[in-house]
Amino acid sequence: MPADKHGRSDSYRVATISATQDDNKTADGRDKSRKKAKKGDNLDDLKQELDIDYHKISLEELYQRFSTNPDTGLTHAKAKENLERDGPNALTPPRQTPEWVKFCKNLFGGFALLLWIGAILCFIAYSILASTVEEPADDNLFLGIVLAAVVIVTGIFSYYQESKSSKIMESFKNMVPQFATVLRDGEKLTLRAEDIVLGDVVEVKFGDRIPADIRIIESRGFKVDNSSLTGESEPQSRGPEFTHENPLETKNLAFFSTNAVEGTAKGVVISCGDHTVMGRIAGLASGLDTGETPIAKEIHHFIHLITGVAVFLGVTFFVIAFILGYHWLDAVIFLIGIIVANVPEGLLATVTVCLTLTAKRMASKNCLVKNLEAVETLGSTSTICSDKTGTLTQNRMTVAHMWFDNQIIEADTTEDQSGVQYDRTSPGFKALARIAALCNRAEFKPGQDGVPILKKEVNGDASEAALLKCMELALGDVMSIRKRNKKVCEIPFNSTNKYQVSIHETEDANDPRHLMVMKGAPERILDKCSTIFIGGKEKVLDEEMKEAFNNAYLELGGLGERVLGFCDYMLPTDKFPLGFKFDCDDPNFPLTGLRFVGLMSMIDPPRAAVPDAVAKCRSAGIKVIMVTGDHPITAKAIAKSVGIISEGNETVEDIAQRLNIPVAEVNPREAKAAVVHGTELRDLSSDQLDEILRYHTEIVFARTSPQQKLIIVEGCQRMGAIVAVTGDGVNDSPALKKADIGVAMGIAGSDVSKQAADMILLDDNFASIVTGVEEGRLIFDNLKKSIAYTLTSNIPEISPFLAFILCDIPLPLGTVTILCIDLGTDMVPAISLAYEEAESDIMKRQPRNPFTDKLVNERLISMAYGQIGMIQAAAGFFVYFVIMAENGFLPMDLFGIRKMWDSKAVNDLTDSYGQEWTYRDRKELEYTCHTAFFVTIVIVQWADLIICKTRRNSIVHQGMRNWALNFGLVFETALAAFLSYCPGMEKGLRMYPLKFVWWLPGLPFMVSIFIYDEVRRFYLRRNPGGWLEQETYY
Amino acid sequence: MPRDVLSNTSNDYEFVGNFRPPERSTREAIKLLLYNREAGTVLGRTGTSWAKIGLFYLIFFGVLASLFAVCLWVFFQTLDPRIPTCKLSGSLIGTSPGLGFRPSPPVENVESTLIWYKGTALKQYQHWTNSLEKFLEVYRKPGLTPGRGQNIYNCDYDRPPNENQVCDVDVKDWFPCTQENHFNYHKSAPCIFIKLNKIYDWRPEFYNDTNDLPHKMPRDLKEHIIAQKNINPQLLNTIWVSCEGESPADVENIGPIKYIPKRGFPGYFYPYKNSEGYLSPVMAIHFERPRTGILINIECKAWARNIIHNRQERVGMVHFELMID
Repeated sequence: MPADKHGRSDSYRVATISATQDDNKTADGRDKSRKKAKKGDNLDDLKQELDIDYHKISLEELYQRFSTNPDTGLTHAKAKENLERDGPNALTPPRQTPEWVKFCKNLFGGFALLLWIGAILCFIAYSILASTVEEPADDNLFLGIVLAAVVIVTGIFSYYQESKSSKIMESFKNMVPQFATVLRDGEKLTLRAEDIVLGDVVEVKFGDRIPADIRIIESRGFKVDNSSLTGESEPQSRGPEFTHENPLETKNLAFFSTNAVEGTAKGVVISCGDHTVMGRIAGLASGLDTGETPIAKEIHHFIHLITGVAVFLGVTFFVIAFILGYHWLDAVIFLIGIIVANVPEGLLATVTVCLTLTAKRMASKNCLVKNLEAVETLGSTSTICSDKTGTLTQNRMTVAHMWFDNQIIEADTTEDQSGVQYDRTSPGFKALARIAALCNRAEFKPGQDGVPILKKEVNGDASEAALLKCMELALGDVMSIRKRNKKVCEIPFNSTNKYQVSIHETEDANDPRHLMVMKGAPERILDKCSTIFIGGKEKVLDEEMKEAFNNAYLELGGLGERVLGFCDYMLPTDKFPLGFKFDCDDPNFPLTGLRFVGLMSMIDPPRAAVPDAVAKCRSAGIKVIMVTGDHPITAKAIAKSVGIISEGNETVEDIAQRLNIPVAEVNPREAKAAVVHGTELRDLSSDQLDEILRYHTEIVFARTSPQQKLIIVEGCQRMGAIVAVTGDGVNDSPALKKADIGVAMGIAGSDVSKQAADMILLDDNFASIVTGVEEGRLIFDNLKKSIAYTLTSNIPEISPFLAFILCDIPLPLGTVTILCIDLGTDMVPAISLAYEEAESDIMKRQPRNPFTDKLVNERLISMAYGQIGMIQAAAGFFVYFVIMAENGFLPMDLFGIRKMWDSKAVNDLTDSYGQEWTYRDRKELEYTCHTAFFVTIVIVQWADLIICKTRRNSIVHQGMRNWALNFGLVFETALAAFLSYCPGMEKGLRMYPLKFVWWLPGLPFMVSIFIYDEVRRFYLRRNPGGWLEQETYY
Repeated sequence: MPRDVLSNTSNDYEFVGNFRPPERSTREAIKLLLYNREAGTVLGRTGTSWAKIGLFYLIFFGVLASLFAVCLWVFFQTLDPRIPTCKLSGSLIGTSPGLGFRPSPPVENVESTLIWYKGTALKQYQHWTNSLEKFLEVYRKPGLTPGRGQNIYNCDYDRPPNENQVCDVDVKDWFPCTQENHFNYHKSAPCIFIKLNKIYDWRPEFYNDTNDLPHKMPRDLKEHIIAQKNINPQLLNTIWVSCEGESPADVENIGPIKYIPKRGFPGYFYPYKNSEGYLSPVMAIHFERPRTGILINIECKAWARNIIHNRQERVGMVHFELMID
């Protein structure tokens, strides 16, 4: 079935496959078929594919190409022309399946087709009857209409459910419109980003989002955050100079939808909308084939099973009816009856509702599920590939350690400084703090007075922000300190110097000296120093001190922390009096022979709940793999601190170090943990990758290019794992899509990643995934229970038909009553099972094996159809015989009278007491039997519902605390009573009021079901893994 | 603490992955399902496995069947062999009997109510006369019905039967509607027999006030009732019967009708108590000159105050079609 291949109900994925059909030209008009051909591979080629030359050509040529002018911009006419040619500067949203297609899918998918066949057969039977007989019985017409109505109503219902969940997605599309400053005809205009065209000259400043791919022509301290594109979180400076062949690396390009962090720039738009780098990745991602969700597979499997049974039984009895000499019209009616009895009409709606309920519950726990079926996917997840930054960590650089006075001190980052452990008055700390506070350009954003310091937003670089916060906590108001120590000169950090210097007047009014403070890469700073400040005294920086420094540096670095060195120097007054003109560009002051003060190290600390969550995943049998762009040491440190690499587990490198042997000599099987570097990964064959994934339980992938995430995901999937991937960047979107369940970040996530994901963590917290897993597993269990409950009543529904055909007895249960069960009384109880609590700790067992652990397996069918269903059928037939006998037809006399019974011509059918029944009276008796059979099914379903609450535990243990279920019990009973006693029902649904005693014959069977299953489960608990478990534990 | 949990669980935790089962084509999979030589399984189970599950279900269904049997046995203890548990309005049979007609159309034509035969040849009408002979046999030979012989009683309006006695229906001298006369079928003026449905303990409420006859009652029946009353008021205790053509055309085609032996069922047959040997009263309708070659719709109604008529539901009446070629 080709349609099934992409058969997610969230059909936009299906649609997007064709969405990439464009003019087959890249932005610069070249043919890009070449790229499309390779699309199936992965994203590794992305960098090479970007063969644009806008960054290489001279500015003049650039202006010429776009016929623009750097000072006046495009003319309005030209801009309009370009806009008309290229369309708006926006990503084409993935094409939605037309609503009517979605609707039709709901109307004709699943069981609906089978029911339509039933309905059409009804209409055919009726029209044939109508054309041959003068007064045709309208039963068939009525049933046909009912069936059609059932299909249409359930279709509309699931369509409604689906559109409701896709509306959640819509909300993400309605982003705040972006504005951009554009030069046109010499005027500065503020336009919506969509209206920008090729060749426009745009101005961007910090805080803006880059409106298109631009070539920088002018810049002032301009930095962009490319993390959503490349995953590198360091802001990168951008300027007009061409530095690299690769467009992603060169400095003179800034890309659509990345953010400007610092400075300002002016640039020429070189590509727009879908042709931007970001647009291409988004397009690439949408081209990936995602396959069905596990639950969709399960449901398809199940639908095939049930449809197969229905068609098989229907056709068999159709043939049998022929052989028995029935009229073909009768045989058709049997066929309809069997189909209707076999199809659990309400089940798909039940499944949808159950999933919706869980989705809602998850949403309240910060897991927003975009695709209903993804609810369960998380539950069957066996591997989670998690991002580090923001998901496992807080994405907030925090000062972790300080080294001064020759000792490493843990920084106190609690809001109230309760964890203070060091002497704040020591001169070493004071000196260090002064440098950290002064040599720092970060500032708190205004208007955050009530916000706790740690949560305040800061303008500036992440490490400077960390220092600022640390100092704000330790010293108080940093801004006033800076005010008191007026800055007179500053050399900003740059990658060649790797240090930052500022010169201040001191706060001591009597001290005319200038204070020079410097921070930067520790080894660079050390090089510039000749003395070191220890214990309040300035000492010569000898080899011993250098050794101490090195040890501290290595230790902090080994913790995965980013270390900065700090030094200061009091400039002598004679050379540098107050008012001295310091020149930053050409330093006219000494930059060597300084006084070393200390180190401070920073880390993005793990979120508090993450270690617990990782441990939970572990015990739930889920492998957590960290995939990060970060440095291996940092990655490993975080992995260790959150438990992704558990205590005592070593990597190959660790073993090598411990045994003092080369890495190559270590048997990789001995190491449970592995830290794989991105460059290594590049050289691995897929077999080698499989080996790593299989034999190491704890894996960290560091320095991975974001595209490699896709390879890792594919590797896991090759091993049969169900993979969840978290990610926030645009570059993650292919992996998110490829994953069985993509999890995007609600706060940090880019829109493209959110679009590609199936689920969004509203709080960006890894721990929320665990809640999701728990809910997903619970719903899988509960769906099993719900399906077991619903399927059970199929046997008492279908057996009357079989008896009707084979034993020639009056029909014990009619088609309409079957529908009343399937769509009426069974619905609420089946849904209520979704609220059932877990029987045991579901987070302590292995994830289900998608190949063997099916939603509906033969054991479930055996239980539902073979055992409980049979008892229910016995109950139904018992009540049927009771009512027939009490009215005069003893069981033995019923066999073989079907033809006479159903003949309108026979107005005097004799019963066992010699009474003679008119057609109407005996039909009334028959319908009463239908009603009683129906009521009895409801009664035995009470017991079924209660036994379905648990699969192993006793009901005594589970309790009856599920109030939805208790309501379900009352509801189905009330509905049954209503259908039986409400006046007018005998006309509408052919339901007749029952005597009270006719409610009772089902009771012994109800009790037997209950006792049977309690005993069965008692035995299951007593003999775990025994024969009974193998045969009946579903 | 998470650390503790970690160290506890990480040891016994081993990730092996879910190995995909080997891919097979559908045909191969079915073949393997039917018979797997390697595993020795037929339809997915080995012999012992089949035996075990078979035994399990054998016991299960055995127990279920005995439960069903016990329930049924207990229920049967509440039943009386001669008196139905639900009677009259307590039963779905209700209190308004219907009518039945004989001869019945052939069994394979059970949905039909058409009495159709051609001409005067024996072969043509044999089915109908045979059917009637069979129907009337129990009336002609009391020995065929157990208990009828000793309980039979020649009832009359002033001689109602005692308990256990059953009234005789003398069908032998209802000329022309006799067996010897082929029920007059050969003369294209057939007799159709009508009987009232038996309902246990049902007592008719007679029209014993001739001034209160229902509006819808055919005029000739009204006149007949008044005439009968003048002969003997006791004769009013009769469930009257009227037969008419359904449509005006049928009324024209039906011709004169003769009711044999009486125009109704005598009241002394009621109530029906399922006594041994009881046979319900019958009467013959003799169509003296029905139009041939045309289908005539006939409906016969029984008249008592507690008999409701409903053409749609065929209550209190019977419908049949007569067609003589």
